[in-house]
Amino acid sequence: MYVGVDVGGTYTDAVLLKNNRVRAMAKIPTRENLLSSLLESIDTILKDADKKEIKRIVFSTTIITNMIAGHKYDQVELLLIPGPGLTHDYYKIKPYVHIISGAVDYRGRVTARLDKQEIDAALSKIAAGGCNKVGVIGKFSPRNTSQEKRVEAIIKEKYPDWQVELGSRVGGKLNFPRRAETTYLTCATRQPYRAFLDSVQQALAEREINADVFILKADGGTLPLKGSEELPVETIFSGPAASTLGVQALTPPGETSVVVDIGGTTTDLALILSGKPLLSAKGARVRDQLTQVRALAVKSVPVGGDSVLELDGNKIIIRSERQGQAYCLGGPVPTPTDALRVLGLTSLGDQDRAAEAMGILGKALGREIKDIAARVIDQVVENISAEIEKMFWEWEQEPAYRVWEVLHKHKEKPRLVVGVGGGAAGFVNKVADRLGCSPYIPQYAAVANAIGAAVARPTMQVSLRADTEQGYYIIQEEGQQEKIKDRNFNERMALDLAKESLIKRAAKYGLEVDPDEIEVASQEVFNMIRDWHTSGRLFDVTVQTPRGITGRVGDGGDIDV
Amino acid sequence: MSKLLPKKTGLIFFPAFDWAISPTHPEREERLLYTRDQIFEEGIMDLPQIEEYSPSLALIHDLARTHFCVPRVEDQITEAHLIAAGAAILLADKIVQGEIKNGFALVRPPGHHAMRVVHGNRGFCNINNEAIMVEYLRARHKIKRIAIIDTDVHHGDGTQDIFWHDPDVLFISFHQDGRTLYPGTGFTYELGGPRAYARTINIPLPPGTTDDSLLYVVDNLILPVLADFKPDFIVNSAGQDNHYTDPLGSMRITAQGYAKLTEKLRPDLAVLEGGYAIETALPYVNMSIILALAGLDYSGVKEPDYLPGRFKETPEHKDQVRRIVQELRQRWETRDNAPIEKRDVNGNYYQRKKHIFYDTDYIEENQLEKLRLCDCCPGYLIIDTKANLGFNRPATALCISVPAAACPKCRAEAGDVFQQSKKTSQYRNVYLQDKHSDTFYGYDCEKSREWLTEGR
Ligand SMILES: [Zn+2]
Ligand SMILES: [Zn+2]
Repeated sequence: MYVGVDVGGTYTDAVLLKNNRVRAMAKIPTRENLLSSLLESIDTILKDADKKEIKRIVFSTTIITNMIAGHKYDQVELLLIPGPGLTHDYYKIKPYVHIISGAVDYRGRVTARLDKQEIDAALSKIAAGGCNKVGVIGKFSPRNTSQEKRVEAIIKEKYPDWQVELGSRVGGKLNFPRRAETTYLTCATRQPYRAFLDSVQQALAEREINADVFILKADGGTLPLKGSEELPVETIFSGPAASTLGVQALTPPGETSVVVDIGGTTTDLALILSGKPLLSAKGARVRDQLTQVRALAVKSVPVGGDSVLELDGNKIIIRSERQGQAYCLGGPVPTPTDALRVLGLTSLGDQDRAAEAMGILGKALGREIKDIAARVIDQVVENISAEIEKMFWEWEQEPAYRVWEVLHKHKEKPRLVVGVGGGAAGFVNKVADRLGCSPYIPQYAAVANAIGAAVARPTMQVSLRADTEQGYYIIQEEGQQEKIKDRNFNERMALDLAKESLIKRAAKYGLEVDPDEIEVASQEVFNMIRDWHTSGRLFDVTVQTPRGITGRVGDGGDIDV
Repeated sequence: MSKLLPKKTGLIFFPAFDWAISPTHPEREERLLYTRDQIFEEGIMDLPQIEEYSPSLALIHDLARTHFCVPRVEDQITEAHLIAAGAAILLADKIVQGEIKNGFALVRPPGHHAMRVVHGNRGFCNINNEAIMVEYLRARHKIKRIAIIDTDVHHGDGTQDIFWHDPDVLFISFHQDGRTLYPGTGFTYELGGPRAYARTINIPLPPGTTDDSLLYVVDNLILPVLADFKPDFIVNSAGQDNHYTDPLGSMRITAQGYAKLTEKLRPDLAVLEGGYAIETALPYVNMSIILALAGLDYSGVKEPDYLPGRFKETPEHKDQVRRIVQELRQRWETRDNAPIEKRDVNGNYYQRKKHIFYDTDYIEENQLEKLRLCDCCPGYLIIDTKANLGFNRPATALCISVPAAACPKCRAEAGDVFQQSKKTSQYRNVYLQDKHSDTFYGYDCEKSREWLTEGR
């Protein structure tokens, strides 16, 4: 049996799956204490179950999102080694940034030295400010970790109990500002996150639940609870990922769908293209800054069932805020839910009050109540549909750096519009209509997110970069740099090395990886030509455990739409 | 988006990582690899001042508007060429529509050595990205006056050839003196055809020229000429082989020099040309150009071995540059009263002979170019070409180009020349490029087969 829990902003949802069937489900309001919400939902679904049969628990929480939004973390200071390039003023805007000398270039060659005195001075300043959490981030540090490591050693020597995070371990992709941001967040959240994990483990132990426990990440993969300590920010925004995986489990394989989760004041959108959830090309945006956190491409549209409707002249304005429930449910102002009620697209609330709500808008406009309701619905549907079209457009516009990619530009049309979350289902049909798709509301739409968590699989990536001219390779995630001994080092060997490292790394987390199942996420080889001769080769290989879900749930194999 | 937001700099980065002239050629997959690393690592694409676009393909029709590709357009290009030209066109569109303030097509393959008639690859170029974009702007957006500033170390002889007779396109090229570098042209006396005198300006600089002298040329020659010409659109053929580490050129320009150059020229659109110091120059120079275009602080962009004041010129060197500037300023001042040499006129035509060598493909071409001298319009152009293709039979063709501003008489005359030439057995192919109707015809004389491409 599998358990999936999604501790969301408003509700905490949980399901118990047995043989890919939903055996129990729970939906409770999320309280301020996330742990108690989590445990209550688990207790509810496990009431009649044999705890020994539970193989796996996966949960998704907003813990990191809440920590960051509420600024509930300790002070962090960053030591940046930007070297030449963009002006340093650009980084100094942030008060917690200290710039130090040193530089590494795109090939990983050291082009400027560290300055020990300068580092000591920066550390004294940090210590004087009472901070003991430091991130060290170098430009091009994934290509040569030595300067970051040297700074770490200097810190550890002087301040052995400080927490130090290195950019090269947290963000191995090329993007220095995103790496710095990711390192900052990692540094900030690691301790409180660990405390949260400890209390989860303790609570599960008290309940004599011995299942493997995983946590959902923004990219729709999972990590074992313990392992997620290293990279807490990867668990941010796992809610939309949970819903998307849920839809994947509740629809036929290979389907191209739009996932529409209409909530109170926002509508979350995600895309599943030919059965695969679309990843964001840029990485998650946190605190309005891009990070190196791999995340699904999700979009939040500021419109929902409880959005406030207002008049501006003879235009109806949908405000991105909430003043309580819909008018038909006793709320103070007209909302899109009232419009649905008037047109008989929902059975929520009181028909007369809904009509009254539309009347408030209609009086000023001199229009019939049904007219007004139709106009409101059209406007909401248009807002959502336009954003969906934009997501497809943006996906098609993703830059291409190879002739082959330009000639084989992706283009796909959605077939299904899948409504989840249980809110304002009435809009889903209309959105599907507007986009020329079929609407679909799965049987367990209200807990699709929890189902998504339950079926999520562990994912792990390893990136290798080898530079045969300089004679070394780096496994990015481990920050480990090794000599290349074989003179005939080739692509095959690079790939094998990467796979081997992935298996090793997975084992560290208690995961078993079937070598035949390893996917190559990207692979690049460049010949280096100097004076008309090949002087070396550059290899960049990223391998990963297979993405996807453990199985389809309920009637998710054969819907007829 | 709000109109109050400052406009961004548009960027198309197309390194063509799967395209090369040959595996060890300077124009190979690796060329923009380290540039990619640098701009990605710096997070350039995330900056609020930058908008990255995905390239799209130019149409065959867009190429036929500028070039006579022999025998057909499809025989002279690969998809990579369509993408590079398409990138320049896409950014030009966005600039003219006011979506972005300026742009940089950081693309391969380059194009500024490609001439109007194309028999093969010369100087790593098959088709001329900037010229195709300029002709597109004129046909689609009715933009009249355009300036092209070629800042590659090599003379932009292809662009010069295409706009030689065009009074509305100002072509300025500075480069290393042709006596010391490919393609061996670009001297001060090459000033354009009789109807476009001094709309071609060549500034041959002695090897070893540094940032100082280069910026002197910009301040004292290029900017004043631009101010007089008042272009509606400025294009920069942004070659980066003037860099002090370039393996082909012998100049001493730094990344900082390139940034200042770009800042002063303020081009609407920069298009990458050459530059083959792929590690020591390109990552830094490309950063410089991008930041300068976006109006960002570029003072931190420095090559690892850069030292201020590292390069010095002799006083003689400086004097030589000043003399060239002085000479060209004079030519520019007298641009509207230059006499036509009588010996170059034959009946109604002004004519010149050209010998063109395609270094990459080893093709020798001879051309007789005739400009119809008309009192009512710029006149049409006839090019009689014969190219020696080695083992194959020579390619012979007659190419007729009618400008958009041609008078009815010239258009009718050019049409007659086309029809008559089709009947003679003198050429294997005959072409009529009618820019007035944006229709381009080709004819295979042996197979008696005609084809055409049309605008929208
Ligand atoms: Zn060049
Ligand atoms: Zn005429």
